[in-house]
This record gives sequence, C-alpha cells and structure tokens, in this order.
Amino acid sequence: MPTETPRKQFQSPKKPKQSPNNVKSQSSTPSIHLSPQTPQLPLRRSSRRSLQPFTSKTVDEMLDLSTPRKALEDLDGIGKCSGNNRKGSSVRTPRAPKCKFNEEDREIPEMGKVGEGNGVVEDAFCPVSPEALESKKTKKGLSEEGSVKMGKSPKCKLNEDLGKLGEGNGDVVLPEKRKKGLRNEESVKTRKSLRCKLSEEEREIPDLGKLGEATFFPVSPQALESKKRKKGEEKRAVTRAMATRSLKKVNKEEKKGRKRVYYKKVVYDGGEFEVGDDVYVKRREDASSDDEVPEMEECRVCFKVGRGVMIECDDCLGGFHLKCLTPPLKEVPDGDWVCGFCQARKLGKDVEFPKPPEGKKRVRTLREKLLASDLWAARIESLWKEVDGSYWFRGRWYIIPEETASGRQPHNLKRELYRTNDFADIEMESIIRHCNVMSPKEYAKANDQGDDVFLCEYEYDIQWHSFKRLAEIDNDEDGECANGDEDWNSCKEDDSGTDEDMEYEEENERNVHARPSTTHQLAANSRKGRFFGIQKVGTKMIPEHVRCHKQTELERAKATLLLATLPKSLPCRNKEMEEITTFVKGAICDDQCLGRCLYIHGVPGTGKTMSVLAVMRNIKSEVDAGSIRPYCFVEVNGLKLAAPENIYTVIYEALTGHRVSWKKALQLLNERFSDGKKISKGDDRPCILLIDELDLLVTRNQSVLYNILDWPTKPHSKLIVIGIANTMDLPEKLLPRISSRMGIQRLCFGPYNYQQLQEIISSRLKGIDAFEKQAVEFASRKVAAISGDARRALEICRRAAEIADYNMKNQISSVNSSRVKDVVTMADVDAAIQEMFQAPHVQVMKSCSKLSKIFLTAMVYELYKTGMGETTFEKLAMTFSCLCTSNGEAFPGWDTLLKVGCKLGECRIILCEAGDRHMVQKLQLNFPSDDVAFALKDSKDLPWLAKYL
Amino acid sequence: MGREKEKEKLSEKALNLLRSRLSDPNFIFRPLPDSPDSNYSKLKFIISTSVTEACNNSILLLGPRGSGKVAVLELVLSDLLQQYPEAISVIRLNGLLHSDDNCALKEIARQLCMEHQLLFSKVASFDDNSQFMIAMLRECGLAHKTIIFVLDEFDFFAQGKQRLLYSLLDAMQSVNSQAVVIGVSCRLDVDQLLEKRVRSRFSHRKLLFLSPSKEDTERFIEHILSLPMDSSLPHNYAAEFNGRLKKLLSDERFKELIDTYLSFNFTIGHLVRFLFQAVSYMDLSAGFLSLGNFKTALSSNQRQPKLECIRDCSVLELYMMVCMKRLEVKEQASYNFYSVMTEYKSIHDSFQTSDYYAANVCLRAFEHLLQCQLISFIDNKGHNQSVEFRPVKLLISSAELHQGLKSYQQCPAILLKLMDR
Repeated sequence: MPTETPRKQFQSPKKPKQSPNNVKSQSSTPSIHLSPQTPQLPLRRSSRRSLQPFTSKTVDEMLDLSTPRKALEDLDGIGKCSGNNRKGSSVRTPRAPKCKFNEEDREIPEMGKVGEGNGVVEDAFCPVSPEALESKKTKKGLSEEGSVKMGKSPKCKLNEDLGKLGEGNGDVVLPEKRKKGLRNEESVKTRKSLRCKLSEEEREIPDLGKLGEATFFPVSPQALESKKRKKGEEKRAVTRAMATRSLKKVNKEEKKGRKRVYYKKVVYDGGEFEVGDDVYVKRREDASSDDEVPEMEECRVCFKVGRGVMIECDDCLGGFHLKCLTPPLKEVPDGDWVCGFCQARKLGKDVEFPKPPEGKKRVRTLREKLLASDLWAARIESLWKEVDGSYWFRGRWYIIPEETASGRQPHNLKRELYRTNDFADIEMESIIRHCNVMSPKEYAKANDQGDDVFLCEYEYDIQWHSFKRLAEIDNDEDGECANGDEDWNSCKEDDSGTDEDMEYEEENERNVHARPSTTHQLAANSRKGRFFGIQKVGTKMIPEHVRCHKQTELERAKATLLLATLPKSLPCRNKEMEEITTFVKGAICDDQCLGRCLYIHGVPGTGKTMSVLAVMRNIKSEVDAGSIRPYCFVEVNGLKLAAPENIYTVIYEALTGHRVSWKKALQLLNERFSDGKKISKGDDRPCILLIDELDLLVTRNQSVLYNILDWPTKPHSKLIVIGIANTMDLPEKLLPRISSRMGIQRLCFGPYNYQQLQEIISSRLKGIDAFEKQAVEFASRKVAAISGDARRALEICRRAAEIADYNMKNQISSVNSSRVKDVVTMADVDAAIQEMFQAPHVQVMKSCSKLSKIFLTAMVYELYKTGMGETTFEKLAMTFSCLCTSNGEAFPGWDTLLKVGCKLGECRIILCEAGDRHMVQKLQLNFPSDDVAFALKDSKDLPWLAKYL
Repeated sequence: MGREKEKEKLSEKALNLLRSRLSDPNFIFRPLPDSPDSNYSKLKFIISTSVTEACNNSILLLGPRGSGKVAVLELVLSDLLQQYPEAISVIRLNGLLHSDDNCALKEIARQLCMEHQLLFSKVASFDDNSQFMIAMLRECGLAHKTIIFVLDEFDFFAQGKQRLLYSLLDAMQSVNSQAVVIGVSCRLDVDQLLEKRVRSRFSHRKLLFLSPSKEDTERFIEHILSLPMDSSLPHNYAAEFNGRLKKLLSDERFKELIDTYLSFNFTIGHLVRFLFQAVSYMDLSAGFLSLGNFKTALSSNQRQPKLECIRDCSVLELYMMVCMKRLEVKEQASYNFYSVMTEYKSIHDSFQTSDYYAANVCLRAFEHLLQCQLISFIDNKGHNQSVEFRPVKLLISSAELHQGLKSYQQCPAILLKLMDR
C-alpha cells in the first residue's frame, strides 16, 4: 500500500502552481548577463580559481563591447571584478568592490556617499588593492615553483571512490562516507603544514589512509590553458564533503593573505541573496539536465507548461492542469486532493501515468531533482566576497529523508527536508535559485507559493544520526537581547566579520561541531554557559506518534492550556502592562534615567513576570523598528541563584559575556555604574534589570539589595531596576535606606477575579470546542474564591480535560459505544477541583486499619474530655484500653499501640514525637476533629466508634 | 526414603517459587492494574500523555508506607520504557539522600550525563548544573524525549528555600520541554509544605494509594500463595497444594488470624512481608502450608519488647522500678536517682527485705535501666550533670510493670504487694 501522507497539524499546501519566477527577485542588472548560470558552464565548486581567467576573459570582452560605467558598477555588484583587478584596469578606482545593499533604513554614518535611490552604499574599506593583488600573485607563483622544486611531497591521486561518489544519477551520499571525508578534512585543517595540490585535470588530494605532505597552490596559467581545453571532458562529480574540504583548503590559504568582506545581502546574477535564504545548489558539474531548468512544471497529462491553473497531487506531487483532469475541475478544492492515478494505485490497480509524446523528454523540475537527490539545497549562513572578488557563501546543507541514516520514515512528508549541522563554503555560482524551506506553521499556511516549497521541522545531526526539532525562533531571541540589535551595530558587525579572530572562532566552533572525539573531552555540565556534547541529544528516529496522530479537540485543549504555552494575547492585564510600558519607555528615553526603580508585587500566578516579559517583547519589536534606542535587558531570578551574591556574577556575565567571581563582578559593576567607567564600547546603552523573586536577595545586612538599588541613583549609570516579589510590604521590611530607594514606584498585581480568569481560559480555548461554558465558569469561580491564581485555574481546566480524555478513552476501549460528545463537563471540573483542593486524609482515615481507627477515636475522645489539643501516649493508651474493654475489643498491647500511633504520625494524620519517648510521647491531631468524626462515623467494621465522636 | 527426599525437594522448589513471587513487586501489583480506576492505569495515562502529547506534568503519589507507590510507579515506568524505548529517561532522586539543593542538582546533572553518554564534571557549580539541566530539558524536548524526575520522599525536598523544586517547576512552565515530576511521599499534607510560589507552579495532580479492601486482600492472598498449574512442578502436587490452601483460606481460624494481623497493619507491603514470614515457616517434609505457620509468623510479629525487657532485669532493677512507680502514685512528678534511693531505703526500713544493696550497686542498676530505655531522662537539659541528679521518668505503664512482675519467675512476693499499695 502506498504510504499515506501523514498529517497532523499541517496539511500539505494546495498549490495552484505558479511560475517560480515570482520567487526569483527582479534582476537589477539588465544590461549584462554573465555566464555563471549559462548551461555550458560547469559547476566549479572545487575549481573556482582555475576558472577565473575564463570568466574574467568574458568580462573583458564584454567590457570591450560596452564600457558604460553603469555596467561596470553592476559588474562589481555581481562580483566579477577580479578580472579588472588583475589587469590593473584604470577604469577601476582602488576603493572598490561596490556592492549593493538593498536595505532601506540602514544608516552607516561613516559611509562616504550614500548611493542613489534605494540605498546603494559603497563600502568604505578596500580589501584588495591592485598592487597587493599583484604581489600576491607573484607570491603564489613562487610558492608553486617552490613546490615543484621540492617535488618530494608524495602526491596521491584522488581517491577514485571519492571521485565517483556523487556520480551517476542520484547516488545517495551516505553519511558514513561523508563523515570519512569530513574527518579527512579535519586533519587537513589541523595540520597546518599540510598542503595539497589541486588542479583541474589531475586533482590530487591526500589519500585517506596516508595523509602525506601535499602542496596546494593555485593553478598556474599553463594548467589553466589545458584546463580550458579539457573543459568539455570533465565529468566529475563532487561530493559535499569533497567540496567542503577542497574549499577549506582554499580558505586557509586565503586567510593568510587578505581579508574577506562580509555582507548581509548580495545581488548576484539577478537574484538577491540574503543571509538566511534557502537556495538550490548544483550537485554535479556535468549535470546534463541543468541546462534546461524548467521555469514551470509540466502537466502530467498534456506535458505542456501552459498558462492554466495547475493543481498538485498530495501523494505523488505531480502537477495537473485543472482542465486536463477527468472530470475537469473548476477551481482548486479545499483540503487535500489526490490525483486519480494515485487513488487508483491505492485501490490496488495498476495504473501508469500517460507517457510523454515521442521525442520529448519529461523535464524534471528542480524540486523533483532535489527530492531525487540530484540537487542540493542549502541555507545561506553568511555571505562574503573573497579577496579575488568572487562571491562565496557559507551554506548549511539540507538533506532529504532518504539520505539520512534511518532512511525515509513512513511518516515523512513528501516535501520534507532536514536541516543538517554540516556546513560548507560554496561559491555563489553554484546557486541555481531560491527555494523556500519553511517551518511547519508557515508550511501549513503556504498555499500558492510555487513549487519550491519545502517543509523542515527537524535538524539532522550528521555525526550522531539523530534528529532534533528546530527550536522556534521565539525561544532563541531571549538570549540575544543583551547583545542588542543588529540594526544599531550592523556597521560594526560588517567590518568585524573581516577580523581574523572571528574566523578562527568560527572555525573552532566548527571543529567542535564536526569532531566527535576531541583530544580532551569537555564535561557537559561544567562549561560556563556552553554545554559540550549537548548536540548528542536527539532521537534516532522521529517517533511516529508525533506525526501520525491527529489531535482530538480535547488534546488540543490540553495543549493550549499548558502553562508553557505562551498565549497569543495577555488579557486582563492591560492597565498594568501600560504602566510598565510607560515606565520602561520613560526610563529608556530619558537621558539620565536616574533612580528608576519599579517594585511589582502580587500573589503568585497573577502574571507579574509574564507581563513584564511581554512588555519587553513589545519594546524590543519597537527597537527593531527603530523607534526606540536599543537597550540591554538582563533577567535574574532570585531563587535560581545559589547565593544572593551570585547576582553580581550573573549581571556581569549578561552584560559582557565574561564570567568572574562575584567580588570581582561587584567591583567591575561598581566601576561601571557608579564611576561611569565604560567596560566596552557597547555599554552606553541603558540597561534594564529584571529581578524576579526579589525577596530572596535579602541578606542579613541587606548589602546586595542596597548595592543593586543604589546604582540607579548614580548619574550616568543608566540602570533601571524592576523588582518582582510576592509580598506587598517588602520595602517596609527592609532597612530605611533601601526602602527609600525602592519603594517609590510600585505596581500591584491583584489576584484575578472570576471574570478575568474566565476570560483568560476562554481566550486560550478560542476555536476549540472542548469545554462546556459552565465548566469554565465553575473552575474560574472556584479558583477566584480561593486564590485568584491563573496557573491554578489553567491547571484545573487541563486536569479536567485530562480526566474527560481518560474517561473517554477507557469507555471506547471497554464498551464500543463512544461518548455522546467529548466535551469537558461540570463533573470533570469538579473531579479536578476535588483532586486539587481536597486533602486526602479523610480517605486515608476511612481505609486505615481497625486499631488506627480506634486510636483516632481515642484521640478525639481525649480531646473532648480534656479540651486540650495535646495529649501523651500514656493518657491515650488508658483511654484506648477503656474503649476496648467497654466495647469488647481485645487490647493489643502497649507496644503495638505505640506502633500504630507512629504509623499515623508518619502520614501526618497525627503529629507525634519520636517513638522512643514511649509513655511520654506527645500526640496531637493534625486535622480538625470534625474530619475524623466525619471519616469514622459510619465505619462498617466498628459501628460503636460513632458513640465517641 | 528416596521418595521423601524427592518430596522435600519438591516442596523446596515450591517454597522458592513462593518466596521469589513475594519479593517481586511486578508479580504482586500486576493483577491490580486492569481496572480503569486503578492507580496504575491513571498514572500510566498521565505519563504516557505527556510523552505522546509533549507536555509537562507534575504528580504527587501519596499514601501510607507500604501501599505500593514506588512499586506501581516502577511498573508503569518499565512498561513505558518498553513502549517508547528511546523517548524516556528517568532521573531518580531520594529526599533522604538529596535533600540539599546543591547536591540534588548535581545528581540530576550526573544522571542526565549518564543517560546521554556525556562527560560529567564533579566540580561544576550550582549555577552550571541548573543551567545544564534547563538546557537539557530544552534539548530533550526538541528531540521528543521525555525526562521523568522521580522524587522519592518528596517531603524532604519541600524544606527550606526549595530551590530545586522551584527551578524544576519553573522550567516546566517556561521551557518548551516535556518532563514529568513525580513526587512520592507518605506525608499526606506534603503540598501544604510547598512554598506559595512553588505551590502555584505545581500542578496538583494527586494519586492516593490506599490499602485494599478486605475482599481484595483475601483474593490477593490466594493469588500469591496458590501454585501455578502449568509450571515445572508436578501437576498433582500443585493441585493438592492449592486444594489445601483453599481449605486453609476458608478456615475461620485462619480468617481470624489474618484479621488480627490486618487490624494492626493494613498495607500491601506489610501483608507481603507477613506472608513471606509465614511461608518461610513451611514444613518442608509436609510440603504444604498449615495454619501453624501463620500462627508462628503472627506471634513473631506481635512481640512486646518492653515486657521482654522486664523479663531480663535483675531483682534490684525491679525494686527500683517499683519504687519509681510508688513515687508516681504519690504524685511526685519528677524524681532522680537519689529520690528513688530514699524510697528504696524506706521500703527496706519498713519491710526489712533481704535485697538491700549499696548505693553504688543501685546506681549501676539505674544506669542499666536507662540503657534498656525502661526509664529515660525527662528532658535533654543538663547534659553536664551527672546521671544520678537528672530527673527521670518511667517509660512503662503500671499495668505493664505488673504484668512483667507476674511473669517474672523469681519475683519476690513483696514487690507485687508493694505495687498494689
């Protein structure tokens, strides 16, 4: 049986196929079309250097043909400037790789001239001067000669296996092999002395086994000539790993020379590529079908592209014209649609798709090729221009399910990809065009975005062959708050990218990723802030229940009632949030922000922390929009600190990223906030400090609180403190010097009343028909009467849903009659409330042993008799024996009785001293005597107990 | 002869089978889970939904000691580990060992590292460990793995600042993880011990483990003690064994005996221990369980340590205790060695007993009584005072003393008389 498309929350998009053209952004270079995309030009992932003369030549020719300055600029924009450079062409100014930044509201103050129109900016730094390049070239030549002279390096032929790996039609590159390649690459990276020669016709890479001393140097002009001649013949596939490796070597060599220029967005060959975009990448150099990249998918019936609306089958992903179907469809239906062929196949019939007309080969779209692993997809992580002017990007590969270790799993969707943790530096030329890899949420919404839409929910670890869900971006952002916003330091970021330090750092990071066994293994839990080996965590298989399970209403209700689920809106706290917003905004916008301190109090579960965080999110989005100055935001929880003093360490680490001891941190923070010394250049931003559970910071001499609350009063400290605690009168309990600093501005979060709770619950349950209206009201009234704790209310509802779910499932399994309607009723809510609020002691008393019952009765009797809550074992034992003799029970003996008492004490039904006190042991009931009376009044085995209660 | 030996062998085999059953919680709690009302299925439902639906949960398992909280939990966990072999990792903590937050977090980090084959560092600080825990919670959540924290003796975690509980429960309401915190405690009021902010984060699911009803207990005894018919034991032996057992179970005396035991202690754990004892008394040559076995087990269970202590005392010690009793009757609330000695002397003076010893000998007897815990100091004050000056109190009642004197063989008649007067 053909696998059914598993779907849980996302349905595969129904797409009237459109031309992929709309994905491709409009070309800004109308006059000149450079060749990289032209079909005859092969992929040069490994041989870019050798090809440069060729391209540059074309460039030169073109320049000869038409030399308007505009064209030249465009040329620069698309990164073909190396040729000019080499020639030392006079047309070019030395300051130059001009590059298009299409970001509108980008301000770079130092920039000389802001270009015409839509912010075309010239970059101010000049990575390569022509002279330098010349000298470099000679150096290269020298090194080549040198190596030729040396001649001793054992060069080895390219391992044929490796060469062939990716050859043929869609060989799956097995991760093992790739890993081998990777390891190889590591060793290349680690051994600096290792060089290897790489030319086009005889590529020599170190053998996997014996990594010899091979020299790598750029290809000499002669080699180029021969290369050009042989160009037609080269038919070598490159595996990903190989591509990576050879490129790395190039990079290494490059690093010694010039700096790279990093960009956020590059317009290359008519496409606009930005960091974070997803692209198709060519896989084979000779990919014969590459030349006929169809703009549109053909109809599976008429084999024409045509203009009519096409519909996609959800099973085979084939496209059909609406009019070619039998019967023809008028419009795209809602929901899933499966073509007639697939339907027939499912029914067990043997159906063949109509054959294409003679002489016409069916053209596969890029999507089909990708899913048949003839292509690759990658995500652009960074973009830069090499010294020689070629444009590169660092790509993060996507992988199709078939290429993973576990293979295609039955619940994999048709258009599913995995993101890997495998990176490679790729030349921009091998990009074919954009594709669109989406998260499940976006994917479910994407309806007519063309054919190049893919779904990516998981990350695949190529070392451990394990899967992990991609964290939602929302979570990631929290950590970045302290680093400020990209808009404001983007200029800094741009040039910092050229620093070699960063390169190395990046490389190190990569090593950590890529190397399963480092020489010194690091403990997972000890590294400050960075946890080693945590990437190991992952499932080997994506569990089936995650995907193939269709959520019922009740389950959806449960999920949305989870405390961890962040609600879309925060009802009922508008006033408070407004107040916080004005406080924070006022504090940020004020230049001095002197002595700003806000104390927020309220009982637990009234949304204090959540409101502040929501306000901060809103403000952050305003910062992103550019209307507010950036700030840094530090969040500390008093209960999560090991000791109150550690707060200094935490704050300092959040501000600077360094971890020091708390004394040192205190000193540094004092310097920063009191003396106004700047630690680094980024800290003139105002700093908002949110301290949750503030009362935990109270030490004996209250110095921690004093220090923290004293800083905001200092001029130029730019510190704003928001403290959250439960008690209303915390400032009053503190020393006067602290309360005078803290208690000025206060905000009270009162407990929710029942309407508010009801609104909170029903706003979460919007669109889900799982609760009776009265049930929600009942729960919220109950909670409002007791504590007004929203968490409690949500938990009650969730528990009620759980109970209803449990009952329903049990009913289905036992009797085959399903419940009338699977909604949460009053009874369920009542059961949940009972469970939550009722102490279980009555039930325990009812079910405890006979002697315990008599014991408890004796306790109550004693209490009535004497009126004293506390009694001793001696007195109790007397009463006990009286009870026993007058009702015909055997007295069990004093020691047994003592044991019975201790057992009751263990459950805390009574409070008692340790058993070795024996006669003088003090006893007291832990619950009201009425409870005991209620529990024991109608016990069946001892009816006489009622007399004494 | 040979036949007898064979029979003995057989009964030994049966005995071993019964013993291994009784010490296997799996077997004991297996018959319970079927009904939907049982704690087993409720607990399993809660945990498995948090595995499948990727949500956080926190549950308290409450009940007196010996009611099978941990046993049922382990049963559920082992079932779920089979069902979702990769998706669950269990972290076990015990309040008696890890009540200190720092060491509890370290233990959590260690077990997490073990579980995921990571390297663990002993020197990591509290902050590191708690950050590591939260990072792991998030990663495991992303990898569809559920972490189950089992906190045995939960009440010990609910002391002091409760940092561990707070950070665990706070992580569960803020991090996108799937974790279940299961607290096991015999204290019924344990949720009142939680601090208010911890309590607010706790989800207050409670499962109460109660003792089984009388009918259940009877069924349970039969289930455990009857031999399987399809085992390696010969069929006719097993049949006879079961037949006799059935007869025994319907015996009124046996029922009474079990009632006496249960009237004192009702939980499954204790019942199992009692049965183990009884089974161990089984006569191998007879090869069957008899009423006598249970009787011996019961009597060995119902010992009266204080009475036995009196039986071991010397006559002088008896004298001293009787003196103390007399002092108490005279409503002298507190007495020390010297006041007892005056009473002892006055008795001697008025009755001219033969048992009169010097003060130092009496002091030795007094100290022995202290060691036996038949008497004890009233308070913990005055450690630096010498023993004879500290006030003491008799720890046995007069009835017990009387009973003890009566059963004492060489008890001087005068003592009993003194007791009465």
